Amino acid sequence: MNLNKQQMRILYRNLVRADHLNRMMYQRMLQGKLIGFYHPSDGAIAPGVAAASFLNKDDNLSPHHRGHGITHMLSKGIDIKYYLAEHTGKDTGCCGGRSAFHFSFPEHKVYMMSGFIGYNFAPSVGWGWAAKRRNLGQVVMNCSGDGSYGQGRAHEALLMATNWQLPIIFYCENNGMAIHSEISEMHPTEDVSSLAQGYGMPAMVIDGQDVFACAEAALAAIEHARKGKGPTFVEAKTLRIKEHDMGTPDLRGWEARSEEEKLALMQRDPLVLATTRVLAEGVLKQDAIDQLHEEASREVQEIEDFADSSKIARPSEEQLLAAAFAP
Amino acid sequence: MAELTLVEAINRAYAEELRRDDSVFLVGQDIRGGIFPHTMGLVQEFGPERIVDTPIAESGMYGVAFGAAQEGFRPVVDFMFGGFSYVTFAEASVTTGQYYFLHGSQHPLPLVITAAVGTGMRLANDHAMSIHGTFAHHPGIKVAMPSTPYDAKGMMKAAIRDNNPVVIPWHMGLMQERGEVPEDDYIVPLGKAAVKRQGSDVTILANSVQLKHALAVAAKLEGEFDVEVIDPRSFVPFDMETLLTSLAKTSRLVIVDEDWESGGFAATVSARVMEQGFDLLDAPVIRVTLPNLPVPGGYMEEYIAPNPAKIEAAIRQVCA
Ligand SMILES: Cc1ncc(C[n+]2csc(CCOP(=O)(O)OP(=O)(O)O)c2C)c(N)n1
Ligand SMILES: [Mg+2]
Repeated sequence: MNLNKQQMRILYRNLVRADHLNRMMYQRMLQGKLIGFYHPSDGAIAPGVAAASFLNKDDNLSPHHRGHGITHMLSKGIDIKYYLAEHTGKDTGCCGGRSAFHFSFPEHKVYMMSGFIGYNFAPSVGWGWAAKRRNLGQVVMNCSGDGSYGQGRAHEALLMATNWQLPIIFYCENNGMAIHSEISEMHPTEDVSSLAQGYGMPAMVIDGQDVFACAEAALAAIEHARKGKGPTFVEAKTLRIKEHDMGTPDLRGWEARSEEEKLALMQRDPLVLATTRVLAEGVLKQDAIDQLHEEASREVQEIEDFADSSKIARPSEEQLLAAAFAP
Repeated sequence: MAELTLVEAINRAYAEELRRDDSVFLVGQDIRGGIFPHTMGLVQEFGPERIVDTPIAESGMYGVAFGAAQEGFRPVVDFMFGGFSYVTFAEASVTTGQYYFLHGSQHPLPLVITAAVGTGMRLANDHAMSIHGTFAHHPGIKVAMPSTPYDAKGMMKAAIRDNNPVVIPWHMGLMQERGEVPEDDYIVPLGKAAVKRQGSDVTILANSVQLKHALAVAAKLEGEFDVEVIDPRSFVPFDMETLLTSLAKTSRLVIVDEDWESGGFAATVSARVMEQGFDLLDAPVIRVTLPNLPVPGGYMEEYIAPNPAKIEAAIRQVCA
């Protein structure tokens, strides 16, 4: 599947936005202007942009936890200011300021986030089941890391998705690491997607630094699912430039990852690679690229202004208890 | 005697037990490199055969501990955050609790479950919930929680040597708490409460980080109320005798517990006091707990969780 220039521009723009927003989150965490923790997505934003940029509003999306799902959500058309407000404990936050890093945008069918790695697999089966039953061509984009496939529930979901030929894309963003653990020590084969074979599920392995390659794979899997042909496993090989989460030492096993190693990873930054390509192929000119960066800076500013000018959420215990059950 | 933090004290307990008994080992995720400092330096001394990292697979990870314990090893299984133990709750609670008794009390299951728990990081429910009450609800499992570095070391050693499954959560709010910890080999027996402060007007039963709050409030109210403070230390078995002895003197009880109001440890103790010590009481028991809400994150944690202000209000109410 070849991408047209319009599609490439959409991807490139979202990549620029994701890059700016990740840097904003990183800065805010350093400045103590973010609640809880942050798992930086440096070097790993291409797969999420590709997975979510061409979904319909009524497709389900479960964002990968890295970068706290911001890349995926902005690409699906979600206004991130409501998430930053949440992440800063403000009453304008998407969950009323009570949920720290958790998000919920049910109108965009991004229902949830849980702190339990692998939480996405079981409900994905239910979303896929519902989509199949409704038969309107909706798909489920189920994004998570290589590490999440250690969970038994990942395998249960692969089993049921193929049994019932559900429209689910198992979209694995394989950065080769899970906290301090290298994937080679935690997974017995080169590709996590080789799991799909055991279930007779089609699988693709792609360069996760190349947003366009990721998008071609994602679009093919989405189309396959929309046509009722069942699930696909897409594995994007990406990388992790920074530490697992800010403040945690950056180790492999129990030894520090070297600076040279991280410098080498930075050479494969997805935005740098995409820029070379769009310029070379005449998709965008330098001044258009500069303008995208300006727009993204403005977007970041607006998001921060919104969150910073909102009030801290301090509902009473009674108000919270009244919110515990649906009416 | 060394001044250590609570996590350093746990680290000492691990190191000493690993040296003493070759059947002891640790299993968890990223415990070789360490997420919290309590496993720091262990892999360098004991190697990756005894400081074992698994994939993100809590059922399999817990299964390593469970099966190896049946095979005669003495595992400590670390869930990182307490909430993550619920990912394998069927095995960790039901199967674990019933194993010894339901199979004719023939073959012990000596393992330790540990994890960091508690509010304070504003991360919300899945990273903030307590687990002691839920585990304590399942018969066949011992549960205890340290409030000082001294207790942390002695309790962890007692748990590792116990022939039963023992859950030892530790509160993140106490991670850097400092205290005297002897170098020698000592045990804090499971099932023994500690009277932390003598008083005659009211008894506060408080554990872990809430014990710290209770002691601060007791000191603040000196002159106005003479507050006795007891740390249960162990929830299962629970030292009812120490509590009833205290109530014979004070006749008033406040229970502080960072767990939900409904079905928690505080509810159990309150009911037992009514059954076994009703005549000792001059006022109804008051509980300071988490309201029955998934623990909110953000700025709500501070005033939703038990805190000194709530403890003080409860003391005034029970003494009114
Ligand atoms: C059930 C559960 N176990 C462990 C953790 C701790 N944890 C948080 S992120 C993470 C690594 C996830 O690795 P991966 O899925 O590869 O995503 P990455 O962080 O590499 O992007 C772990 C182990 C958790 N949050 N939930
Ligand atoms: Mg990973």
